[in-house]
Amino acid sequence: MAGIRIDSVTKSYGGLAVLKAFSLDIADGEFVVLVGPSGCGKSTMLKILAGLEEASSGKISIGDRDVTDLAPGDRDIAMVFQNYALYPHLTVARNMGFGLKMRGTDAGEIDRRVNEAAKILGIDHLLERRPRALSGGQRQRVALGRAIVREPQAFLMDEPLSNLDAKLRVHTRAEISALHKRLRVTTIYVTHDQTEAMTMADRIVIMKDGVIQQIAAPDVMFREPANLFVAGFIGSPGMNFLKAKAEAKGGGATAKLFGHDVTLPVANGGALAGKDIVVGLRPEHIAAGPGQVSFTVAPRLIESLGSEQYVYVDLPEEHRREASAGGDDETRRTSLIARLINPEPRPPEETLTLSFDPARLHVFDAASGEAIR
Amino acid sequence: MPRSAFLDLARPSRRHWLGYLLLAPAVLLIALIIVYPLFVSVDLSFQNVNIARLDQPRRPFTTANYERLFASEDFWNACWVTFKLVTIVSFFCFLLGLGTALLVNNRFKGQALARLLVALPWAIPEVIAVVIFAWLFDSSFGLMNWLFIKLGLVDQTINWFSSPDAAFAVVCTVMVWKGYPFVSIMMLAGLQSIPEDFYNAAKVDGARAWQRLVHITIPSLMPVIGVTLVLVMLWVFRDFSIIYVLTGGGPLKATQSLSIMTYEQAFGFFKMGYASAIGVITLIVCVIASRLMIARAPDNI
Ligand SMILES: Nc1ncnc2c1ncn2[C@@H]1O[C@H](COP(=O)(O)OP(=O)(O)OP(=O)(O)O)[C@@H](O)[C@H]1O
Ligand SMILES: [Mg+2]
Repeated sequence: MAGIRIDSVTKSYGGLAVLKAFSLDIADGEFVVLVGPSGCGKSTMLKILAGLEEASSGKISIGDRDVTDLAPGDRDIAMVFQNYALYPHLTVARNMGFGLKMRGTDAGEIDRRVNEAAKILGIDHLLERRPRALSGGQRQRVALGRAIVREPQAFLMDEPLSNLDAKLRVHTRAEISALHKRLRVTTIYVTHDQTEAMTMADRIVIMKDGVIQQIAAPDVMFREPANLFVAGFIGSPGMNFLKAKAEAKGGGATAKLFGHDVTLPVANGGALAGKDIVVGLRPEHIAAGPGQVSFTVAPRLIESLGSEQYVYVDLPEEHRREASAGGDDETRRTSLIARLINPEPRPPEETLTLSFDPARLHVFDAASGEAIR
Repeated sequence: MPRSAFLDLARPSRRHWLGYLLLAPAVLLIALIIVYPLFVSVDLSFQNVNIARLDQPRRPFTTANYERLFASEDFWNACWVTFKLVTIVSFFCFLLGLGTALLVNNRFKGQALARLLVALPWAIPEVIAVVIFAWLFDSSFGLMNWLFIKLGLVDQTINWFSSPDAAFAVVCTVMVWKGYPFVSIMMLAGLQSIPEDFYNAAKVDGARAWQRLVHITIPSLMPVIGVTLVLVMLWVFRDFSIIYVLTGGGPLKATQSLSIMTYEQAFGFFKMGYASAIGVITLIVCVIASRLMIARAPDNI
């Protein structure tokens, strides 16, 4: 086991820069999740780590070995692929033992390790089957098994759960986490699902267009997003954004939200005066009934999930942001979502009083998108 | 307007009717041009006929053709020649075909042109290919003799078509040249259907290029290899024009395969009954051989 150091790695295909100066230090035994929208370069980064793609520039070390120009087989890493890439002509046992066999491990040792890994994953009754005779979940375990029998320095996983159905995904997610707790092998896990990232990661690396947006533990990322992109990506449903103008008031800053002057939770309010800002408010931080800042709305739509309710409200015109080219979808831009826990049933046509605590607000610079604290 | 329930072929219960309906012309045609002559030749092989004419009455049933056949040295020689030809040509077709397919499957500049060149011999009519090779191997002014002498492999010109071994070698060469592009094209198609991630996984597992070929590529190609092998073997088995134009079966029957012998008996000596018997034996061998190959094709993909 070993830490991994990625030092300003870049990658471009022809003129297209897919990764821009990617640097990341991963501690020994850490579980790091790379997350971001489709096409942001997550798989590319993983392939460069595995040695399947060449980095255009930069340096990668595993442990204290420089592996930048080492063949994939010499890096002592194991990879789990999105479609599992199990060899169809080999039995489960031989699939799992393939890597050891290629390294010339003797047959008895291979058997022992395969059986041990199969027991851990609960697939010891499947060892003589071929991959096509397995269910999706079982294949997924075999793919994991193939990675762990090698006892590598690090695991790389590229969206290993995306081919499973929703229920199995939640289950397997927990299993992978448990496996990591048990084996403590450095793991880099790629997904575009923020729930997976939040639940599994020790640290999340959030990417957009080949640029790291923020590296932080899940809780920190949720509470203190570095910019608008991170704030909108983490959390479900995503954060509500309201356009506003900051005004100075007695050393602090305020903004007019829903007709109230609301004090913004920023340190240096004076510097903010007159600036265009975007105020972020998480749906779960809006409560039903009156509170510190209350406003009355006529809900456009109420979705009930039993234990919680999503209330969709049209945003007043002055709080709507400009439509960005290819940005968020239109409904997110023009509406506010409140997530009410343990709600009482309410008819949709009734007007509703909602409230929030101004300390929960997030403030972003409208021009740069950076968070202001 | 409701459609007649009987004629509505889109109904689930009628759907197979449409299949049969569409298949009918093809089935009829096959029956007419393949099955009927087949029966005629099986029938002929049990009669003592010289020139077959359909308007003549049937001759009495006899197994004399087969008795003569199995006692004939020529027949066993032809079997041996055919066997050698099938084995050697199939082997080298596969070696060359798989090799070239692996080469042009790589990504490089001029890949399209390379693929075209590999497939070129396939597009050339057999007879023309033979004429080219007959010239290359000509004993007095052929390129091969010149080359062999220049390279110091031989010290006097070889007469390729009068030595049995040399003639057999030339026939094999032409057949391999003509046959390997087919294998190459089939293998290329097979190669392209192997997911890239198998190779990626194998690379991460530490497999070297040779190990990837043996453990990933070949097993993944197995189904294609099986079918291709059968097709190539059948082609060699019944190919006629290459041998006929190149050597006519000689010298000393060294290149007389079963199909050449059939032709010679039928249209050289006008022994239609006897020729039919050889044809029937060829057919049976082909059917058994291909059944064995297909049944052996692994069922693991
Ligand atoms: N071989 C290639 N040639 C050119 N461009 C490529 C190549 N491979 C990937 N790209 C581009 O690189 C970018 C990043 O691709 P990558 O596969 O890393 O995305 P990703 O973050 O894994 O997305 P997803 O979540 O959809 O898997 C994409 O814009 C893609 O089009
Ligand atoms: Mg990807």
